[in-house]
Amino acid sequence: MKIPRMMAAAMLAGALALTACGTSFPADPDGTLDRVTGGTLRVGASDNGEWVSLTANGEPQGREPDLVRAFAAKLGAEIEWSEGTEHVLAEGLKHGELDLVIGGLHDKTPWEKDAGLTRVYAESVDSRGQGRKHVMLVPKGENSFLLELDRFLMASEAAK
Amino acid sequence: MRSSVTHGPVRFGHTTLPEEQQAALRRAVKFEWITLAFLAASTGLVYVVLGNSQAMKAAWVEDLLSFLPPLSFLVASRAIRRRPSEEHPYGFHRAVGIAHVVAAVALTVMGAYLIVDSGIGLLTAEHPTIGGFELFGQTIWLGWVMIFAMLLTAGPPVYLGHVKMKLAEKLHDKVLYADADMNKADWMTALAAAVGVAGIGLGWWWADAVAALVISASILHDGIRNTRAAVSALMDKRARTFDDAEPHPLGGRIDNYLSSLEWTGTAKSRIRDEGHVFHVESFVVPADGHMPSMKQLEDARQACIDLDWKVQDMVVIPVSELPSEFLPGVPASGGEG
Repeated sequence: MKIPRMMAAAMLAGALALTACGTSFPADPDGTLDRVTGGTLRVGASDNGEWVSLTANGEPQGREPDLVRAFAAKLGAEIEWSEGTEHVLAEGLKHGELDLVIGGLHDKTPWEKDAGLTRVYAESVDSRGQGRKHVMLVPKGENSFLLELDRFLMASEAAK
Repeated sequence: MRSSVTHGPVRFGHTTLPEEQQAALRRAVKFEWITLAFLAASTGLVYVVLGNSQAMKAAWVEDLLSFLPPLSFLVASRAIRRRPSEEHPYGFHRAVGIAHVVAAVALTVMGAYLIVDSGIGLLTAEHPTIGGFELFGQTIWLGWVMIFAMLLTAGPPVYLGHVKMKLAEKLHDKVLYADADMNKADWMTALAAAVGVAGIGLGWWWADAVAALVISASILHDGIRNTRAAVSALMDKRARTFDDAEPHPLGGRIDNYLSSLEWTGTAKSRIRDEGHVFHVESFVVPADGHMPSMKQLEDARQACIDLDWKVQDMVVIPVSELPSEFLPGVPASGGEG
């Protein structure tokens, strides 16, 4: 029993040591955060009342587009907007064509199988009196990018 | 139940436990309750930080399944105290075996399910998503919390397992043995999950699924091993030591004792393990074909019962030659050699 215990402990220690000298932990398997920083943030927006309001010509307005613009500014990124239904945007996320999807989505979203969810950054009550916990969608497993966004969302929530 | 569960000295059926075994049983019951309390705390903690990690999910399911052996032990250790009745002339000892089978089958099924579930995750290149976790106003990576939780829950079962293993030997209890054996290996599950999550942190999305497969395989392995042991015990396999390592030495001691009596020529027993206690049928060939007296027979039986607390339900059968049909391995005709 001694040897595997030592080996496993060494493996874990090794993994932790790697993280200490590595550039980012957690890391993105597909390098989203690296690519977006100082580059282009590809955002999909789906129209949804006060959260996301699409205009005929011009950028999306509302609470979530404002947050996304602030986040992009923090990363020094240009935003490339796409508009569509939630379904189309979730597909885009799944196939690596988008980095972020907004649309007043909540944590019981059916797109969870195709996308990663941010932490709940706002709560509201819908017209039927049901509580909604709001999230945004990111590509699955891009954990460094997700953590960066989570930190940003939490800070902006705390700032209010 | 009526008054079948009595206070005073602890009995398994109509076997009164010796002082040493009574103390071991009390300690085993205490440690199984401690195990249940620990499991309740650890499954609760792990559930809170479960996230999207398949390895964490597998470790959590294993924790849930770990409730079964202690529960089986506690329920069975009460059921078998009932005295044999007209309807149940052999007593209720098999309650232990039934509890063992149920726990073992649950392990096997969940192990197989988790292997398929984790395997699909690996084949479809599922990238586990783990984001931020709010802790004291800070947003830290949830993965750190997962690793911390796993390392926190890795240690205690190893200690519990070591204590229970010693008690299992004293009590000759195979459910307790299986439980202790799983506890002792539990740190590997926790460490595998921690390594899997650390792997996700390094950007190795596959590390999580691989760790989950390792954990699932260990659950399945435990399940199959326990199912095999439990089923063969219920099928009256020859009594073996508490860890199934070798035939129980008590059989040899009984045969040697009976063969050494002045009125006997040779003797051989078949013994089945009822869980804790043994049922013994000893076939004795008297020397020179002289039938022993009633007292000689009763004295011989009592002496065997005094050999070990596990022997109580015992019959001594005088025969003209050892019956090969009941004692496989004995030559079919004549020959005592």
